[in-house]
Amino acid sequence: MTIDMSQFYQVFFEESAEHLAAMEGLLLNLDIENPDSEQLNAIFRAAHSIKGSAGTFGFTDLAETTHILENLLDRIRKQELGLRADMVDAFLESGDLLRDMLEAHQGRGAVDVQAVESICNRLRQLSAGPEEMAPEPAPAGGAVATEAVQQPVGKHVFDIQFVPTEISAKGNGVANLLDEFRAMGSLEIISQPDAEMHNLGYWQMRLVTDASQEAFSDQIDFIAENGAWRVVEDVSAAGDDDQAFGIFGDSPGAPDAERGYGFFAPPLIPSSEETDGYGFFEPLPSPADTAKERPAGIGQEGEGYGFFAPLAPSASLGPAVEEGDGFGFFVPLPSVPDVLPEIAPRSDDPSNQPAPPVAVEKQGAEPRGRVAKASASANANADSSIRVSIEKVDQLINLVGELVITQAMLLQTAAQMQGDTPERLVNGLAQLERNTRDLQESVMSIRMMQISFVFSRFPRVVRDLSSKLGKQVELKTSGETTELDKGLIERIADPLTHLIRNSLDHGIELPEIRIAAGKNPVGTITLKAYHQGGNIVIEVGDDGAGLPRNKILAKARERGLPVSDQMTDQEVFLLIFEAGFSTAEQVTDVSGRGVGMDVVRRNIQAMGGRVEIESMLGVGTRMTVRLPLTLAILDGMSIAVGDQTYILPLSYVVESFQPQSGDIKTLSNHARVIQVRGEYLPVVVLHEVFNLKSRAGDFTQGIMVVIDADGIKAALFVDALVGQHQVVIKSLEANYRRVQGISGATIMGDGHVALILDVSAIAGMAKTSLQKTG
Amino acid sequence: MEVITHGGSTVSDDDSVANEYLTFTLGSEEYAIDILKVQEIRGYEQPTLIANSPPFIKGVINLRGIIVPIVDLRIKFNLGKIEYTPFTVVVILNVAGRVIGAVVDSVSDVFSLTRAQIRPAPDFSGTFDTKYILGLAAVETRMMIVTDIERLMTSADMELIDATATSS
Repeated sequence: MTIDMSQFYQVFFEESAEHLAAMEGLLLNLDIENPDSEQLNAIFRAAHSIKGSAGTFGFTDLAETTHILENLLDRIRKQELGLRADMVDAFLESGDLLRDMLEAHQGRGAVDVQAVESICNRLRQLSAGPEEMAPEPAPAGGAVATEAVQQPVGKHVFDIQFVPTEISAKGNGVANLLDEFRAMGSLEIISQPDAEMHNLGYWQMRLVTDASQEAFSDQIDFIAENGAWRVVEDVSAAGDDDQAFGIFGDSPGAPDAERGYGFFAPPLIPSSEETDGYGFFEPLPSPADTAKERPAGIGQEGEGYGFFAPLAPSASLGPAVEEGDGFGFFVPLPSVPDVLPEIAPRSDDPSNQPAPPVAVEKQGAEPRGRVAKASASANANADSSIRVSIEKVDQLINLVGELVITQAMLLQTAAQMQGDTPERLVNGLAQLERNTRDLQESVMSIRMMQISFVFSRFPRVVRDLSSKLGKQVELKTSGETTELDKGLIERIADPLTHLIRNSLDHGIELPEIRIAAGKNPVGTITLKAYHQGGNIVIEVGDDGAGLPRNKILAKARERGLPVSDQMTDQEVFLLIFEAGFSTAEQVTDVSGRGVGMDVVRRNIQAMGGRVEIESMLGVGTRMTVRLPLTLAILDGMSIAVGDQTYILPLSYVVESFQPQSGDIKTLSNHARVIQVRGEYLPVVVLHEVFNLKSRAGDFTQGIMVVIDADGIKAALFVDALVGQHQVVIKSLEANYRRVQGISGATIMGDGHVALILDVSAIAGMAKTSLQKTG
Repeated sequence: MEVITHGGSTVSDDDSVANEYLTFTLGSEEYAIDILKVQEIRGYEQPTLIANSPPFIKGVINLRGIIVPIVDLRIKFNLGKIEYTPFTVVVILNVAGRVIGAVVDSVSDVFSLTRAQIRPAPDFSGTFDTKYILGLAAVETRMMIVTDIERLMTSADMELIDATATSS
């Protein structure tokens, strides 16, 4: 068995990171007073999955920490312990540490060993505390509890069988385990693998100890191959009791999801175990009615194992199937020895514990699996996605882009043939165009991700920060399903975090101040995402104090920035994005150092986006981030200026018309304006902006295109409109640099490059030129 | 994908190991650049103008789906006659992870030069800053100016890369 595990590491890292994120999200949503058992189970599953795969890959630090975490979670979800706020804090913290560990395993950063140690201890304390007060009977369902036999005192004899994983077998895992056993009591090894197998193989041993099974079964689970272990307490050997019980063995930290085994214990006379809920009952020829009642009771447990002893093979399957993750064990009674035990196993739901040993007449009989249908639909989502490297997707996108260009070229060639084009060719080309566009859209959508991927981390940020600052803040998000490119998603997270921190620290006031101002003591931060034109807009708003214009101006003067009282609010507010600018009275560890906001703006600009601020003193502040959909297919209008062709994104175009002589007026003899539908719009003459020679002698020979860039309207003067195209945006910056007024480039049907105009920048130019003169 | 720095400034210590250099002419001067930086050589085609760019940046072309800027080194260094004929050559360079086209008068040869053959250039002031010159190499009667093309193309003088990109 020499499989190179490392090839799966990446998948493990990704999956674990996802599990951690899911866990965090669920934890934040938990209602501490009244936790939803479904959510608790989901958290447990996430932790369990991490533990399972960490163990498999030999990341023991991860596995151990998650194990402790999982123990506590397990007790909470079984309602043995009440959920408390400090537990959630501990969970969140350990989640952070686990993330650090994952990073460290990937060669980034280091793990704070002390922090790990302390959180483990904290979790252990949380988990152990109440147990000492009340050593409880197994609360796994009423019917079971009444039948529970108290833990026998004295020595126990355990039959232990396991197959270690390759990693633990070659390492010290097995040796350590054996040492531990020896420390606990007397160990007798019944069979062990050959020496040349390096401990790899089947182990069987017998341990006599006064410790409970709890004490060591976890270690076995770590060392053993997924699910390939079994511990059976031999009560008869201990000479304790003589009653015939079916045991449903313990399984903390059970085998992984994929292995839904039932282990069939030899017909021993077991005793009950503590802590973990077993359902057990007497497989004696007991009255049929009790046997039937019991499964119903157990089936309702979250745990959902229904064990029951049918009198006849036809005994109902109902209780087991009822529960999504239910098991049903049909234990044949001695009176019907020909019935094979049946399992209705589950689902790959990792929260499920493995099928525990069942006392059956036929030892070692093979269980017959039956797939529970209920779980199938729940897993449909997980099964219907695949992991593909982003490079492959990008390659696909590039190829489709080339296809689009080729298709456009064909279309243009056909158009040039004028009347000579055969009709069938024209039809075929039209169909090709449609298909290509559909193909392109589908391929593009692969790279698109929902922005909830980023938004989901903010509840945590807000929670941590607001408690640190002593503020009460509620985070409202909307538009989580807005899709944007994966590349952008990754890069927008940091700037947004900064904006939210900023809102929390500077925007939202302390509760007392809010009450004094007649506001709700709980501040609100709204996070909103939506599409607007060719942009993605993300708004971060708060109902806090607003930006103090005078204070910003004063601060700017202090720092020697060129400011005047005539500046618009917009311009004043944008000053907060200057490096080192902060109006905070005191520097806290949250913000106030003046770093951050300049980084925010730089990052957003690097993505081709912009930030705008609106604010009203005492009412609140709204920061709007506009990002381009870089990968989207752009619907563009091609325009001619001189001998050059440019692409104008269609979403910005309002209308176009041919101006009459005298339509254009001048302001202060420099800035030109034109009246369009009762509105005076600044005129941007494109050939002047780009220093080109226009073919249009005067304004009447060209075309005015009215553009609307995020509320700023302008009339763009061009020589002619050429046509409308769907264009693939190519980066100009990949090999060149950013050019003022140009947002990108594309390749036209004839193979030439056409530049795509940055309408917002051009409209901005119009505005500033008006302001300078006006 | 990071371009491995090869030859040029990091020639191996062994003086006898030869690297191959492509030589091209600008006016009457002959330049040699590390051949591993050269992706291909193609004819000149009319590029798409970039507004408000310096005169030596001729514009961008479509190189099989990639947008590639074209620099006319003759204009930049004020050498040779600026004319575009079907024989005008564009050397497509692959430097610093970018693809850049350079217009030159002609491409002449490929030489193997050992480190010993490349002599340090004397300090002189000229249009061609000495910091981009690795040395001078003589082959028969010809003198070749061995150039660190990567350094040249990524320099602020060429205005090919955003200032923020170069500073980081």
